[in-house]
Amino acid sequence: MKRLRGWWLLAVLLAALPLIFPGNYYINVVGSSAGLFAILAVGLNLLMGYAGQISLGHAAFFGLGAYASAILTTRYGWNPWSALGAGLVLSGLVAYLIARPILGLKGHYLAMATLGFGIIVHIILVQTGGLTGGPDGIGEIPPLSIFGWAIDSDERWYGVIAVTLLLVVLLALNLMDSRTGRALRALHGAEVAAAMMGIDTAGAKTAVFVLAALTAGLAGSLFAHQQAFVSPDSFSFFVSIELVTMVVLGGMASTFGAILGAVLLTLLPELLVVFEDYEVLIFGAILMLIMIFLPQGIAGGLRDLWQSRRGLLGRKGGVGQDAA
Amino acid sequence: MLLEASGLTKSFGGVTAIADLDFLVPEGLVYAVIGPNGAGKTTLFNMLSGIYRPDEGRLTFAGQALIGQATHQIARLGLSRTFQNLQIFFNMSVLENVMVGCHARARTGLAGALLRLPRMRREEERIRQWAGEALDFCDLGGLKGRQASELPYGALKRLEIARALAARPRLLLMDEPAAGLNDTETLEMRGLIRRIRDQGITVLLVEHNMGLVMQVSDRILVLDYGSRLAEGTPAEVRANPQVIAAYLGGEVHYAVE
Amino acid sequence: MWDQILQFVLTGITLGSTYALVALGFAIIYNASDVVNLAQGEFVMLGAMSAIALTAGEGVPLVPAILVAVLVTMVVGLMLQRFAIAPARGITVVGTIIITIGASIFLRGLALLLWGKDIHALPHFSGESPIRLGNVTLLPQNLWVMGGTAVLVLAVHLFFNRTLLGKAILACSCNKAAAQLVGIDVGRMLLVAYGLSAMLGAMAGVLVTPITFTSYDAGIMLGLKGFSAAVLGGMGNPMGAVAGGLVLGLVESLAAGLISSGYKDAIAFVILLLVLFLRPSGLFGRASAERV
Repeated sequence: MKRLRGWWLLAVLLAALPLIFPGNYYINVVGSSAGLFAILAVGLNLLMGYAGQISLGHAAFFGLGAYASAILTTRYGWNPWSALGAGLVLSGLVAYLIARPILGLKGHYLAMATLGFGIIVHIILVQTGGLTGGPDGIGEIPPLSIFGWAIDSDERWYGVIAVTLLLVVLLALNLMDSRTGRALRALHGAEVAAAMMGIDTAGAKTAVFVLAALTAGLAGSLFAHQQAFVSPDSFSFFVSIELVTMVVLGGMASTFGAILGAVLLTLLPELLVVFEDYEVLIFGAILMLIMIFLPQGIAGGLRDLWQSRRGLLGRKGGVGQDAA
Repeated sequence: MLLEASGLTKSFGGVTAIADLDFLVPEGLVYAVIGPNGAGKTTLFNMLSGIYRPDEGRLTFAGQALIGQATHQIARLGLSRTFQNLQIFFNMSVLENVMVGCHARARTGLAGALLRLPRMRREEERIRQWAGEALDFCDLGGLKGRQASELPYGALKRLEIARALAARPRLLLMDEPAAGLNDTETLEMRGLIRRIRDQGITVLLVEHNMGLVMQVSDRILVLDYGSRLAEGTPAEVRANPQVIAAYLGGEVHYAVE
Repeated sequence: MWDQILQFVLTGITLGSTYALVALGFAIIYNASDVVNLAQGEFVMLGAMSAIALTAGEGVPLVPAILVAVLVTMVVGLMLQRFAIAPARGITVVGTIIITIGASIFLRGLALLLWGKDIHALPHFSGESPIRLGNVTLLPQNLWVMGGTAVLVLAVHLFFNRTLLGKAILACSCNKAAAQLVGIDVGRMLLVAYGLSAMLGAMAGVLVTPITFTSYDAGIMLGLKGFSAAVLGGMGNPMGAVAGGLVLGLVESLAAGLISSGYKDAIAFVILLLVLFLRPSGLFGRASAERV
């Protein structure tokens, strides 16, 4: 199946890594982290890369999923899977409610509105101490289990996250290669023309926003059970920026690019551990450098390279340029 | 009458773009709208496609009121459009651009897309076929696999037309299709517009190239400062002294085939 | 009760003055280059921290320290324009926002490196003896903030309306191509705009830091709230931005005092969302029509 070539490669890679390097910290722990962020990045990429919208508050949905799972399992004794479902409903619902007003905005205003939303959610998480445990967060979150088999080791978490990632990627690939996917990409390409082709642009934006929120909520619930602990720090404005960076770095409108971005940015702190004091500085510098020199991201850069080698680089289209 | 407009008025701030305009477009014709820059032609198109809302007046398309409907709803009534400033989806391939044109003819929703049900795959095949037909009609069949960003300007103009045609519209609004085309390309465009009309599609054409307008139109509406200056067959409009004074500037002869 | 409210109002005006200067800086850069500079808050932080660093210990006396700090921040502003924004030609809106966020993080990292995580303050300019107006107390520094802001705002207003340089910058914001055609060096105008914004931010920082201490990450919230204030006042309207800043400061102070101080940071963003949803052109902005 030519269409799913990339997916199969990813599946083989994910399966092979723990087999080739069993018990490796980088694969199991860092890899799991990267996998979770990859899920987040793939979802955000649908919104930003394909549909051309902006969200600087995506960590909010990550947090809603995480806290839903945390609160319902620790305070109300819910079954983790039910709590996960509730987290999805919460993320989806909140996204649906704010989608129409927010996505009517464009450019700077859209960016800042999503940023404002993200910060408000973060502040609520910090302030509603009674419910959320405030800045100290919630601990002792019970583990997730599948048919009685508890997911309580790094290896098992790697497996769960890898499978979830593959599922999310499959859905994303299916979506993009469909009438709905084309409608979303048309939205990005030329919104007025998209409407003229019968596409309900407001509805489409809402739909992709909710989808991205759902993937983030899912990742959040998994995160809560994996860490067995949540605190507002994991869902701050800074995390939202990291998510956007992953999508941009990997290359927008590329699902695999988003995964690459997530992996690179998760590895970065590990590499920068040496330069601990410089970490913030370097991150800021990287952000600026990518956007200045490689605004299409790595995937976009590779695409351009490929096309120019085929001698076909004509008008510069794609995401690095505002289309009409 | 396919399209009826009465009393259309639209102002922006202090500027009146369209003033109390009436016209009727019968089905199956090539109906051109001409006038100097600023006469309100693109504003008219934007009102027809639901991008602007007229301040006053009525617009009826195939018996349905257009005013108050969103652009995508108007599109689903059977009205499609090309744009003065190319609105190509540069982030997609040539074929995909036209497949978007088929959006309103298809049904698969989110669930079908995510799960890739057999029905969805069959519909995708049909969409691909429809898109291919539209591309062939516009002489772009050989460029299906290319990225839209690779195409030269003339091909892009035709791509927009192919995309609009893929929707099988009853009325096609063409906003300056010959802009920026050289003589050969303009000749090809003339042929294309005629082929479109021969398919039974009504064409509403805004164009500055008077040669093209005179050769391809069945009726012409002349606008000046947002109002109707003249309306009739090309011969009638050419001979109208007011039109000559305002726009064509003296006696002009056009080769008519 | 009324005394309490008056007290909150005074705090609010002080706070609002800082927001006003930050918002003004936003508006100037946005007007000149269509860029939302999310590093604006870092100018405030850098101005304050540099001044503090210079006056520390047996260091430089206050006035020269302030001047140098402001100058240093202006240079940072110029470098931001020249090395981060200008090279990214033809980039999308998301792109410029991310660049300025990157710059803001970078500057924060720099401050962290140079001065660590501690909080600092400048000494009060003219002593700390409170001034009593009835039942309400005022610090001399409050007057410095309010007065300084008023002077700066007036100066900026005169600059844009009375000087050739100021008008040239306005010309660039209206129509870059036309400005170039009449011989205006757009590149230089952009530099002036960024330098000016940085100066305003640095002054805001220097004025207010004796009262509200500062640290390496004080810039983020300030920048974001300043942006909210600019939107509230009407994006692109400099005096509107000033008004927006004052309004925001007042609302925040009153809400924090009368309702709850935990959520006070949220206020700026709730206001932002409300403005964007209900009246995107803000209090004093002009609604613009787009040509298709």
